[in-house]
Formats: sequence, structure tokens, C-alpha cells
Amino acid sequence: MDPLAGMDDSTTDDDNASQTTEDDPQVPDNHPPAPQPPQPAPVPQALPPATSSTRERPNYELRHTLRGHTQSISAVKFSPDGTLIASCAADNLVKIWSPFTGDLIRNLSGHTKGLSDIAWSTDGVYLASASDDTSVRIWNVDSGLTTKHLKGHSSFVFCVNYNTASNLLVSGGCDGDVRIWNVARGKCMKTLHAHLDYVTAVHFNRDATLIVSCALDGLIRIWNTTTGQCLKTLAEGHDAVCQHVQFSPNSKYILSTAHDSAIRLWDYHTSRCLKTYMGHRNEKFCIAACFSVTGGKWIVSGSEDQKVYIWDLQSREVVQILEGHEGVVVAVATHPQQNMIASGSIEPDLTIRIWSDRGST
Amino acid sequence: MNASLLNPFTVTHPTAVQTSLVSGASFARFDPTGKFVAAGRSDGSAAIWDLDTRAVIRWCEGHVKAVTSVDWSRNSRYVLTSSKDWNVIIWDLASPVDPPQRCNTIRFDAPVVSAYFHPRNSRIVLALLSTGEAYVVDSRKEHRARVELCETLSEDDDDERARSIMTTARFDPSGRHVFVGTSTGNVLVFNSRTKIMVARHRIAGAGNMKSLEFAKVGRRFATNSSDRTIRQFILPTYPSPIVGAECAILETELEPTHRFNDPISKVSWHAMSYSPDGEWLAGGSADPATHKIYIWDISNDGQFATALDGGREPLIDIHWHPQASRLASTTNQGSVLIWHCPSPERWGAFAGGFEEADENVMYEEGEAEFDIENEVELAMRKKLQEDEAVDILGGVENVVDHKMNGVAGDPGDEDLEWADDEPDDDWQEWRLKVIMVDDDDAY
Repeated sequence: MDPLAGMDDSTTDDDNASQTTEDDPQVPDNHPPAPQPPQPAPVPQALPPATSSTRERPNYELRHTLRGHTQSISAVKFSPDGTLIASCAADNLVKIWSPFTGDLIRNLSGHTKGLSDIAWSTDGVYLASASDDTSVRIWNVDSGLTTKHLKGHSSFVFCVNYNTASNLLVSGGCDGDVRIWNVARGKCMKTLHAHLDYVTAVHFNRDATLIVSCALDGLIRIWNTTTGQCLKTLAEGHDAVCQHVQFSPNSKYILSTAHDSAIRLWDYHTSRCLKTYMGHRNEKFCIAACFSVTGGKWIVSGSEDQKVYIWDLQSREVVQILEGHEGVVVAVATHPQQNMIASGSIEPDLTIRIWSDRGST
Repeated sequence: MNASLLNPFTVTHPTAVQTSLVSGASFARFDPTGKFVAAGRSDGSAAIWDLDTRAVIRWCEGHVKAVTSVDWSRNSRYVLTSSKDWNVIIWDLASPVDPPQRCNTIRFDAPVVSAYFHPRNSRIVLALLSTGEAYVVDSRKEHRARVELCETLSEDDDDERARSIMTTARFDPSGRHVFVGTSTGNVLVFNSRTKIMVARHRIAGAGNMKSLEFAKVGRRFATNSSDRTIRQFILPTYPSPIVGAECAILETELEPTHRFNDPISKVSWHAMSYSPDGEWLAGGSADPATHKIYIWDISNDGQFATALDGGREPLIDIHWHPQASRLASTTNQGSVLIWHCPSPERWGAFAGGFEEADENVMYEEGEAEFDIENEVELAMRKKLQEDEAVDILGGVENVVDHKMNGVAGDPGDEDLEWADDEPDDDWQEWRLKVIMVDDDDAY
């Protein structure tokens, strides 16, 4: 594809064909990636409208609309075996659904305030939930009972995740602390005074040696799980407050979403931004993005314009837009084995929508 | 996988105690993934510690007398414990119960000094009894057998050899051979498949052989003997025995490449362990008043590198982590000290794009460093850079690299094919189930 194709819309008065100064743009840049180049001014139109791409495109269609939450939905997650989907919302409930029939299977109730995040253990037996009642609960999904009640955060708990072995749990709170928990005993092992503002996402890498966290202070930090030492800080532009971050499936990169309506893929070893995905709107809410690896390689994210966007991982083009929600889409999840996406929206929509790619069935 | 981020220096030896696991242990062994430690206790149980949470996750309770050795299968699913109560028990950690399910109990008619899994198949076990006999126990259906490894004696001087007993027995890292140390300072080599002795190495001046250790890479092994010296040898190669033919026994005297001892206090050694890359050798000193680990730099001609001091509780055992620069040393009070190589906190890590310099550096401005560049052009260059393909799935290394462990071999090798026949269920994908501990259930 023509790498300059998209520039036609974004150029202002300059004719970009004549831009040959001493730095030839064709030569790969070997300088240290100069202080984060300012974003091209007109961001929203920067994506090529239609390039002559021969790549396959996804073809997701709405399968089910799950109604039941009475207040804003904050997260949706598929179970690791893909047979269940869990959602949590400000109505203090975790709901377990079948992604294939769209039926509600179970409510997990016990939290006394709204929920912000949920995470499945690798074996799919347990689900951890983070709540504004300053606690994390670990549920046995089959029985619907709380197995462990993790108390220790001094403020709202905003995000939670298991490691692959599911013997550790990491949670981030609105007081800026990241806590690492021993799951079997329900005890806090370590508190990292990680950030100065709401910690909005925490995630373990594959072998749980690292934790990535991001906060509304605009920083992404990488921590050594064992020692609790900060290993690296990635700072985006001052206009780009990061609100969700996760490792790629092979843990070589991290994917972050920020309030400048951009999703970035970072090489955290070199602190270099490798890819920027734009076109959606994200200026106010904490919107998660995720990887889709079951068919084509996509990046999926919700948007404040009530749609779900799918980008091609490599070309950064928007390859499909899913419409139907009637509120801001803050949560998305991809099925672990099938071409299926779940998306959740806040008020006034309050639905979870299951989309699947017909080609897969 | 994150070595470059976690440890900015090349792998070196541990230098400081990171944590102490109060375990009542008489020895401790890391598993091949390096996530767990099995601690054998004199009350007949073995505790499996999770190093992530530093808590005991399983109790292997089955013996009525002291546990004398533990061994892990290659993907950590099976744990073997041998005991003075004449039994070897094999535990299946994939069972979601505590204590884990036993998948086999092997009974002998004397206390078991040590037992090891075959490196390729956990259904083959090598056991050494306190009477000085070594057995290879094969519990596979087609090969079910218990064979004693017998030294083939030559015609002359058999009176002297008759008095020698086996004092240590190990598989080599490939599993092709069993190495046996004897009370008279010999190392006997047996073929694991045929159980026929292929070599006898005399080690001059060694006396009673106390233990044998193999480096995972580099074909080296070390012996610890009653003359208070650790000797390192180059591992000889042995021809595969021809079936039916009476094969000659290789009788040689092995000359050590290095001898390690404590020149001042002349203490003996309780244990030794190679680092995973084989570049360091650690020796646990048997000094009754101190906890000292000596580390030698094998890649630097065996030079003495350092002596780690672990406090006042005397050392009784050491074991090196299978991948990292970590050591487990056990004190006579039963604590397992985990040693690591601490990396200093870098405060520069808290600021994006900030580098700490050790000394003041005169800053030299690059030619075009502060030139104001055209924004459009910058955006374009960035766009070009972003066209590079990224791989978000591949390049994931397995935690346990079997090539590194010398377990992988050429296809068509009879010894390895024999060991791979009727494989065990020790898959790399198995996962240890987290068992929730009730709040009132205090360990």
C-alpha cells in the first residue's frame, strides 16, 4: 500500500511531495526516536479512507443483545475456555452469561458499591472483581459464592488481573497504589505506591515477572513483580492521558489507549511507539482495547461515538465499525478461540452485544 | 524473556539472601521451571513452596521416616521423595488435592539414600540404598523391571573391589548413563538401557565418593569426596553397547581439570551445584559454625570468585536455580535461604525517557538535534516507521528448554528411543491448580 495515501487528508497547505530536506523520509530513522514527534495536527481524518488493500476484512455481525444491568457496564470478559462471559456494572453485580445463547446464567452479588473491573483465573473456576467498596472479591463462578474477600485498598479499586498461574492477583486503586495478592490465602503480599492518581489498568506479562500499570497521571510504568522495583516509565504526550494498558499475547509489546483518541502499541524495551491506531473518539472515558488473534490480527476498541472499531494490527486501517449501541462503548472483549467480540455500553444503552464473524462458523 | 529489562548485566552469581523459607527442611530442590522449591524434611514430609507467593502450596506427607532426597520430573508435574522408611513415593502435582495424589510407591528392603527420575521419562527411577546397592526401577508396562546395577569385576584384585559399596548414583543429563560413585574412589558408568557397566574410572586420592553433579551444558561433572576436595572432570564419551556382544569395559583413570578445596580451614563440602550455564560452581562448606557458599568461576579457569556468608546457622545443602542467578541453601535449623543477585533501584526508571548517568558527562549536542522540523514531515516519517510489521504472538520461549538441559538428542539413538517409549504424562502444558486456603486453616 502507499504509505503516503493517508496524508492527503491531513496535509494543510504544504505539498508533501516536495518535502525533501536533509532528512530523507525514506531512510529509516536511526536517531534516537526524537522527543515524541508531535501528533499530526488533524488527527481524526488521518486514516486512509480506502486504500487498495488486499487484506481480508472481518465481517462481524450482531448475534445477541444481553440486557439486565441497570447501571453503567464497566467491563466484559470471556472465560478462558470461551463458554461463559462475565460482565460487571455500577449496579454492584457481576453477571455471568452464555455467549452462544445470550442467556443470563447467574448473578454474583455481594459488593456494596459499583464495580469497575473483573478478571478470570486461567482455569476459569474463579473470577475476581474490583469494586468501589474498596475490596476485591474472588468468586467461585459455579457456586456463585465469594471464596475470598481481599481487603486492603484505602480507596476504590479500579482494575484487577490474574497472572497465568493464577496464584497471584494484581489490583490498582484510586489512591495510586498497586497491590499484589496471594490468591490462595487472600492476603496482600506487596503494595507498590505506583502512581499519583487513579490507577486505571494493571496487567501481568506471560511469565508474571513484570507488571504494567497506567494511571491518570499520564504514566505507564513497568514493575518487577518479585522485587517491586520500577523498571521503566513510558510517558506519552501531556494531552495523552493513558487509561488502559496490557501486554501483547507474547508479552513483547504493550497496548495502551489514551485520551487523545489514539491507541498505541509500544516496544517497551526501547520505549518506542510502533503503531498508532486512530479514528475512534476517546477523550473522557476509560475505554479498553484488546487484541483479536483468532482469525485476522485485529485491535478492537470501544468508542465514545457509540461504536466498536476494529483495526488491522499491521496496517492500522479501520477495517470494520460495529454499530448498534446507544451509549459510549467502554468495554470490549474477544473470544479466546472463536471470532467473537463482546462489547458493553454505559447509560442509557446498558446492553452487552455479542458479535461474531460469520466466516468462522 | 525479560532478561534485558530485569537484569541489565549478564547473568552472574547470586550475592545476597532474598528471602528465608522457614521450612524445617534438611535440603531443598528447585523444580525445572524454577517457580517452586521442594523441601525435604526429617519428619517424613516434603513441602512444595511457591516462590511467587513464598508460601507452601502442597504437603507431600507419606513417609514415616526422614526424607532423604526429592527429584522433579522434567516438566515439574511429578515429584519423587525417597525416605529412610524404605520407600520411594511419586506424587502427581496435577491432582487438585493436598496432599497430592500418589501415582506410585516403590518399596525396597533397606533405607533409600537417594532416588532420581530418568531425565526423559519419569517412569524410570534410579534408587540407591543405604546398603550400597543401586537399582533402576522401570514401571512402564512393556519394560516393567527392577534391575540392580552390578559392578563387573575384573580377574585381578577382586578382594579389594569386593569391599567397595556404591555411595552415590545419578543419571547423566541425557539419561543415557548412570554414574555411580563408590566407597573406594571409583566412578562406575552403566548404560541405563542395558544396565551393563561400560566404564570404570579410578580417581586417585579421592576416597569415599560423597556426591556427583553434572553441568547441564558443557559436558562436565564434579565429584565431592571424603578427601575434602571437589574435583571437576570432562565427561568422557562412551560407545553405545552392541547387543549380544561382550563389550569391553573402559578402565581409565580420570584426571580432574580442577580441584577445589578450602586451603585455609580445609573443611569438607556438604554439597555442590552448577549454575544453569555451567559457568559457575557453588560449593557448600561443611564448616560447623558458619554458613558459607564458595563460588568458583569455571569459565575463568576455575578461579575462586567469592564466598557468600549466610549467617550463623550452618549450611547443610545447596542447589542452584535451573535458569536464573539464584541459589537455595539450607541451614541446619531447617530454613531455606533463597539467594539472588539484587539489582540496584534505578530512580531514573520513574521518569519517562530519563537516563541515569554514573558520572557527569559533557553533553554534546547532535548536529540537527534542536532543528525545528516540519510537522508534516515528522508525521510522515512516523507513519513510515509504523508500517513495520509487528509480531504479537510468536517468539515465546518455553520455560524449560530441553535442549539446554541436554535432554534432546539425535533421532535414531537407541538409548533415547528406549527412554521415550511409553512416555509419562508430564506435559509442558499441565498447570498446578491453586488450592484456596481457608482463613482459619493455619499452615
